[in-house]
Amino acid sequence: MRRSSSRRSSSLFVLAALGLVAACSGGGSITNSGGTTTTAAAPGTGTPGTGAASTSAATTSTVPLDSLPGCPTDALASTTGTTTISFWHGMSGALNDELVKLTDAYNASQTKVKVKLVQGSYEQTADNYLQASQGNRPDLVQMPEYMVQSIIDTKSTVPVGKCIAASKFDTSAFLPSALAAYSTQGVQWSMPFNISNPVLFYNKKVFVAAGLDPNKPPQSLEELKADSQKIVSTGAAKYGIALESGFDSGGGWYVEQWFAKSEQFYLDGQNGRQARATKVLYNNQTGVDLLTYLQGLINDKLAVNVGDNSGSGYDNLLKMADAKEPAAMTINTSASLGPVLEVLKGGQFPQLTADDVGVGPMPGPDGKPGALIGGASLWVVNSGSDAKTAAAWDYLTYLVAAQQQSEWASTTGYIPVRTDATTLDPYKTTLATDPRFSVAFDQLKASPDAPTSAGPVVGPLREVRSVLATAVAAILNGADVKKSLDNAANQANALITDYNNRNG
Amino acid sequence: MKRRLRDIPWAVTMLVPSMALLAVWTVYPLVKAVQNGHLSCDSTGNRCTDAGWGQYKVVFLSNEFQHALLVSIKLALLTVPAGVVFGVGLAVLADKQLRAIGVFRTIFSSTVATSVAVASLVWFVLLQPQIGVLSDLFSGWFPVLKNPGLLNDHGTALSAVALSSIWANLGFTFIIVTAGLQSVPRELYESAYVDGAGSVRRFTDITLPMIMPSLLFVSIVLTTRALQSYGEIALLTGGGPNPQKSTTTIPYLIYGQNSIIHNNLQIKSAAAVLLFLISLVFAVVQFRGFEKRVHYGS
Repeated sequence: MRRSSSRRSSSLFVLAALGLVAACSGGGSITNSGGTTTTAAAPGTGTPGTGAASTSAATTSTVPLDSLPGCPTDALASTTGTTTISFWHGMSGALNDELVKLTDAYNASQTKVKVKLVQGSYEQTADNYLQASQGNRPDLVQMPEYMVQSIIDTKSTVPVGKCIAASKFDTSAFLPSALAAYSTQGVQWSMPFNISNPVLFYNKKVFVAAGLDPNKPPQSLEELKADSQKIVSTGAAKYGIALESGFDSGGGWYVEQWFAKSEQFYLDGQNGRQARATKVLYNNQTGVDLLTYLQGLINDKLAVNVGDNSGSGYDNLLKMADAKEPAAMTINTSASLGPVLEVLKGGQFPQLTADDVGVGPMPGPDGKPGALIGGASLWVVNSGSDAKTAAAWDYLTYLVAAQQQSEWASTTGYIPVRTDATTLDPYKTTLATDPRFSVAFDQLKASPDAPTSAGPVVGPLREVRSVLATAVAAILNGADVKKSLDNAANQANALITDYNNRNG
Repeated sequence: MKRRLRDIPWAVTMLVPSMALLAVWTVYPLVKAVQNGHLSCDSTGNRCTDAGWGQYKVVFLSNEFQHALLVSIKLALLTVPAGVVFGVGLAVLADKQLRAIGVFRTIFSSTVATSVAVASLVWFVLLQPQIGVLSDLFSGWFPVLKNPGLLNDHGTALSAVALSSIWANLGFTFIIVTAGLQSVPRELYESAYVDGAGSVRRFTDITLPMIMPSLLFVSIVLTTRALQSYGEIALLTGGGPNPQKSTTTIPYLIYGQNSIIHNNLQIKSAAAVLLFLISLVFAVVQFRGFEKRVHYGS
C-alpha cells in the first residue's frame, strides 16, 4: 500500500507500451500505404535491382506549349492605376533584408505595380501553396529546386517560357545550366533567381604543411584521395576530408552532382526531363563505384564521417576547425562561404583563420568540371488576371536584371544567374577583392552542354534524397554498397510510383 | 434551479470565445485529419479517391510507424520517470523556509521560460563534438562525446535528446510539485514528527500521498509532451543518426524535413490521428494506475 506508487505506475506504463508494440510486429513500408495500388516490394524483400515501376518505362514527350496558359506581358500598358501583386518567398534573415531592399526600390521606382512580400520558410511556402485554392495563391512564388515537378503537376502557373516569348525577353546572358534546371519537356517553367552549388572548402595551411600546393586543390576524385593520403601520412591533419550524409548535402544532393559530373542520368526519362520519371538509376555501376570510393576513403582513414550534419548543418565545416583531430577539406554549398568567412574572422579558431580557407570546384570523377544548381526559382502564378500576370512578370524581370543580380549576389552569397552581372558593381568588386567567391560561378559556367547537366526532376525528389541519405549513412558506416543502393532504389521507386499514381 | 437556467445564456456567452477557438483550431482540424486519413489524393488535395479506413491499419503496421512508435515510447520512458523524480527532488529541496529560497525557486523554475528551440540550441552547442564544451572537458573519459558525438552516436542520441528534454521540462514539474507541496497541511508533519517519524518516513507516508494529484497531472502532461516531441528532435538530431533513425519519433516521421511521407498529406493525417489515439491510451492507463492513490483532499 505504501510502496512507491510511481514505480507501480511506470510498470503499468511499460506494459502498455510493450502491448502496443507487440500487438503489431511486421508490416510493409509506410510508402506502400494509400488507396492506389503500388507494385513496389518492401525495402529489403525485393529482388535487387528491380525497380518498383520498371514495367512502365518512361517515354520521350514534349508538352505542347499551346495547351498552357498564356502570358500577356503587354497587359500592364493598358491598365490605369496600380496593380498590386503578392509574392510568396522563402528568404529569411539577411537574405530577406536584401529582398525587401530590392523590392522597396522597385515599388518606389514606378507606380504601375506594387509588390507585397509574404515571407515563410521554403517548406511553409511550398505546403501553403500546394494546399491553397487557386484564388488564394499568390501572383508570384519562389520555390526551391526540388519542387519543380510538384509545381508543374499543380497546373497552376504560367510557364515563364511563354512570357519570355511574348515579351521577346533576352536570355542570352543567362547561364544555360541555370535555365535548363527549370525546364522540362521543352518548356521553361520558371526563372532561376537565387542559385548555389557545392564547392570544396580546404585549409591552405594544412596543404602547405603536407607539401601540397595551397593554390591547387584536388580536381578529381583520384587527386582528392592522393592529396588526402599525403595530408594524413605527413601528419599535417588527422583526416583528409570530412564527409557527411545529410539528405540535402552529402547523402543526397551531392550524389546527384557526381552523377551529372559523370554525365550519367540519375533518373529515367532523362532525369525526368524528357518524360515523367518512373525510377531512380543510382544503383547502377556509376553509383556503386562512387559510393565504394567514398567508403574506401573512410576505411583507409583518409576521411572522417561526421554523420547526418543535422542541427546546424555545419558539423563538417566545424571538423575543419577542430583543434585536436581536424579534417583538411570538406564539401559544402557555395552559399555558406560568406557566413563561414564571417565566423572565422571572429578569430575563435586559431588553427583555421578566414585567410586559411581555400575554395576549389567540387572534385568529381576524372576531374570533369560542372555542377548542378541548387537554390530556388520564381514561378508566375496563373491568377486569371492579365494585369497581375504582366505585373508579376515585370517585377520578375527586375529581380533577374543584371544590376539587381549583382547586388543580390554580393550581399547574399548566391551566384548571379547571368554572366553580365559579374561585370557590374558591387559584385564585380566582390570578385576582384576575393576570388574565392567566383569558384562556384566558374564551375557552373563550365558545365558541359549535355542533357545530364540538368539535374533530376521528380515529384518526391526530397523524399528520394532522404531515402538515399539513409543508404549513404549505412555505406559510410561499412554496409554493403550494392545492397544498400538497391534497397534505397526500391524504396525510392515505390515513392515515385505512389506519387505518379496520385498526381500523374 | 430557476436561477441556474437563467444563468445558461450568460454561461454560453462567456464560453463562446474559447469554444470558438477550440472549434476552429482543435476540433475542426481533428475531424478533417480523421477524414483525410482514409483518402488518397494528389499533392493539392483536389483529386481524391477513397482509400478506405484500412489505410489507418496499413500505416499503423508499417515498419516506419512501428519504429517511430518504439522510439517515442523509449523517449517517454527516458524522460517521464526521470523528469518526475528530479522535479520532486528539487521541489522538496526548495520547500524549506530558508533565507533567499526565492532565488533558488526562481532558478529551479527558470526553464519554464525557455522555449524548446532555445533549450535545444543550448544543448546542441554544449554537445557539439568539435567545439562543444562538454566534449572539450570530458572526451578523455567519454570518447563518444568527441567521436562521433553524443548526438551522432546510435546508442546515445536518444538519451542525449532525452537529457535536453528533461532539463527543459524541469521547471514545469518543479512549479506544479511545489504548488502541491504547499497545499500539504503542516499539522500532518508535526503530528508525524511527534509520533517519531523520520524524514524519509514523513516523505513516503505524507508528502507522496498528498501530492499524488500533482504527480498524476505532471506525468500525464510529460508523457504527452514526450509523445509529441518534435522541436528538440528537429534541432538536435534531425531524426538521426542514420541509418538507424534512432530519434525518429512519430511527430518527426510526420513533420520532419526529411520525412519520406512529406508530400502525402493523407498518410500524414492518418499517422497524426494514430498518435492522438496512442496518447489517449497512455493517458487512460496512467489515470487507472494512479486512481486509487490519488486523494484530491476535502
